[in-house]
Amino acid sequence: MQRDVGSLPLSPALRARLLAAGFQTAQELLETGPCGLSKEIGISREEALEALQVVRQECAGDAAKTAGGSGSTRKCTALELLEEEQTQGFIITFCSALDNILGGGVQLTKITEICGAPGVGKTQLCMQLAVDVQIPECFGGVAGEAVFIDTEGSFMVDRAADIATACVRHCQLIAEAHQEEDHLQALETFSLESILSHIYYFRCRDYIELLAQVYLLPDFLSEHSKVRLVVIDGIAFPFRHDFEDLSLRTRLLNGLAQQLIIIANDHKSAVVLTNQMTTRFGQNQSMLVPALGESWGHAATVRLIFHWDNTQRLATLYKSPSQKESTIPYNITTFHLLKSFKIIKLRASGLPRCAASTCHPKCRRY
Amino acid sequence: MATKKLRRAKLSQELCERLSRYQITTCQDFLCLSLLELMKVTGESYRNVQKLLRKVSLACAPKMQTAYEMKVRRSINPSAAFLPTSLHSLDKVLHGGIPCGSLTELTSPPGCGKTQFCITMSVLATLPVSMGGLDGAVIYIDTESAFSAERLIEIAGNRFPTYFDSDEKLFCMTRSIHLYRELTCDSVLKRIKSLEEEIISKKIKLIIIDSVASVVRKEFDTKLQGNLAERSNFLARGASLLKYVAEEFSIPVILTNQITTSLSNGLAIPADLVSPAHDLSLSEGASGSGKKESACVTAALGNTWSHSVNTRLILQYHDLLTRQIVIAKSPVAPFSTFFYTVEKSGLVLQDGKNLSNLPWEGTNPALQTIQVRNTALGNALLKTTDETPGDTPSP
Repeated sequence: MQRDVGSLPLSPALRARLLAAGFQTAQELLETGPCGLSKEIGISREEALEALQVVRQECAGDAAKTAGGSGSTRKCTALELLEEEQTQGFIITFCSALDNILGGGVQLTKITEICGAPGVGKTQLCMQLAVDVQIPECFGGVAGEAVFIDTEGSFMVDRAADIATACVRHCQLIAEAHQEEDHLQALETFSLESILSHIYYFRCRDYIELLAQVYLLPDFLSEHSKVRLVVIDGIAFPFRHDFEDLSLRTRLLNGLAQQLIIIANDHKSAVVLTNQMTTRFGQNQSMLVPALGESWGHAATVRLIFHWDNTQRLATLYKSPSQKESTIPYNITTFHLLKSFKIIKLRASGLPRCAASTCHPKCRRY
Repeated sequence: MATKKLRRAKLSQELCERLSRYQITTCQDFLCLSLLELMKVTGESYRNVQKLLRKVSLACAPKMQTAYEMKVRRSINPSAAFLPTSLHSLDKVLHGGIPCGSLTELTSPPGCGKTQFCITMSVLATLPVSMGGLDGAVIYIDTESAFSAERLIEIAGNRFPTYFDSDEKLFCMTRSIHLYRELTCDSVLKRIKSLEEEIISKKIKLIIIDSVASVVRKEFDTKLQGNLAERSNFLARGASLLKYVAEEFSIPVILTNQITTSLSNGLAIPADLVSPAHDLSLSEGASGSGKKESACVTAALGNTWSHSVNTRLILQYHDLLTRQIVIAKSPVAPFSTFFYTVEKSGLVLQDGKNLSNLPWEGTNPALQTIQVRNTALGNALLKTTDETPGDTPSP
C-alpha cells in the first residue's frame, strides 16, 4: 500500500500529472476516490476510475506476494520441485545414447539449444522431436502437440511423414508384443494423419515475423493447451543479416529469450532452438563457434553441439545444469537418429520382448 | 511483412499520427521498441500497450498451417513437388528430383559440368508434365557468359529426339528460356528483386543462377577489412529473397558455386584469397606434406552460405573420362555418389559403376573435399606413362 506512484504501470502523461499534483503513494490515490482525483488533476471521471482500477489490481498483486499467497507467484520449496521434476516426462529422441546424455530426453519447461554445422542433422532432430512428443503416455511419451516455427524453410513434410510412419510402426510392435487394452486404444488415435495434424507449422521470413509470432505464442498456447513442444528451427538465420545495430540485436534476442523462458514455464512445454555455427577469427586460426555471440549462450539452459569428426557425426552436451559433459556418436537413418553401430532390425511380431528394445531403454520394460 | 505500415495494422488514426511524429511508421519500428519505450511514445498504460503489441503482431505474424494440411496439398499435386533430373538413380535417391520450393546448390571445380547440368535442367523444365517437366519458362541468370544456345539445342535434340522432332518445337523451347547477363553483385541483387513480377508475368517454373560465386569473389576481396561482413550480408540477403520466391511460387532454384582451398588447420578464410589458378597446385599438398598444412578443396563462399542452401550437389572428377556426382547435403537423401560422363545429350549416368549407397559416410557439407582435375590427371598420367616426374605437373 505504500507503493510509490512513480512505479505504477499507468501511462506516462498521467503519472507525470499525479506527481506534479503531489501524490506520492498508492494509498493516497485510493483514498481520494475517482471524483476527487478527476477534479484535482483535471482528467475525466472515467479515466480516473480506470487509473484507480489499475492501482487496486497492482496493490492486490503486491499484497498476495508479501502474504505468501498462491497464483501469480512462483514460489515453492525444493521438495515440491523435486516431486514435480520426478513425475515430469521427457521427450525421447529414439536415440538411446542421446537420451542418456540428456538425462532421459529433452526436458519440459527448459530451453534446449542445438548448434551445429550445416547438414549435420539439426532439422532432422527437430522433426523427430515434433513426432515423439505426441507418443501416447502408455508407450512412455508425453502425449502432447508441437509448434514448429521455421525460419529457414528446411521443414520437409515428406521427411516428417517418414519419421511419423516409423514411430507409429514402432508403437504398433510394442502393442503387439504386449497385448494390453490401453495400448490398442491409444493406437487407434495415434496414426500418421493425427500426428501430422498436431504439428502446427509457422513459416517466419524475417526477424519481425519471428518476434510477432513469439508475442502471439502465449495466446496460441492457451488455446491449444496440449502443446508440449515449441521448436524454433533457425533462430540465428533471421538475425544474421541486415543488422547494422548490434546492440538492438542483442536487446531483441534477450527479450526473445525471456519470453521463451516464460512460455516454457507457464505452459509446461519444452522449447528447442537450433543455432548455426559461425567462424571466429583468432590470432592465426579460425574456429567454428555457435552463432549470435557470447551473450546468447546464457539464454538456453541446455546446449547440444552437433559436429563432425571426419565421417562420423558426434553430439556433445556442452551446457547442462544436471548432466555431465559428454560426447556420443550418432547416425541418421531412414527413420530416425540412431546410436552409431546399432542397426534396428524390425522383425515380425510374436516375440516375448519388444523387437526394437535395442533402440530405447524405456522399451525394456516390455 | 515487416514493412507494413501501422495504419494497415488496424491501429487508430490518432495513434498512427502520434507514432509517426516519433518516426515510427512501420510494424518493424513498432516491434523493435521495448515496452517502456512504447509506453512513452504511445502515452498508454502498460496493459494497453500489451494489447497494442498483440494487435500489431497479428498483422505481421505468419499464418498457421498443420503439417497434415501441407502434406495434403503436396499429395494433390505430386508432380509439382520435384523436378526430375532425368538421371534416374539420382532422382530415386532424391525422392523425385530437384525439390521445388527450396534452394539447390551445385558445386564443382571448373570444367566438371555445372553449366551442362544447368542447360539440361532448363530443357527439362520446359517439357510438358507428362514427360516429367514443369511445362513452364526458365529464368537463367548468367554471370560468366557461359551459356551457349547451340549447346542447348544439341542437348535437347539428342536427349529427347522423339519429342523435339520439328524445328518449331525447338524454337518454342528456346523462346521460353529467358537469359539475363549480369556482371556485378548489385545487378544480380536487383534482378533477384525483380523476379517476383517476372515469374507471374512469364509463368516461370525454374530459376537458375550460374554462378553466384563468380560475381561475389570478383567484388569482395576478403583481405580488406569489413568486406567479409558485406559479402555475408549480400549472400544472406540474396538467399532469403530467393527462398521467399521459391516458396511462394513453389518452384526450384538452382545456384552454382565454385571451389576454394581450405587449409585443414582451420585457416579457411585466407585460403579464399587464393585465385582459382592456384587452387590446383595447392590441392596437391594433401598428398605431400602430411601433418602441418594439408589443404583440401571445398565449396566456396563460406560456412554461412552452406547453411542457407537446402540441398548441395557436388560434381567432381574421378578419372579421365568419368566424373562423380555427390549428394553432400539434403534433407531427404542420404550421402550418395554416382558416376557420370558428359556427352552430346548432356549428363549421362554410368549405371553399372554406381556404388551402393553409403549412408554412414559423408562429412560436413561445408568442408567436403572435392577432387579437382589436376589430381585426376596426375594419377592418370602416372599410371599410363613412364615419364620422369619432371614432365608431370610439379607439386
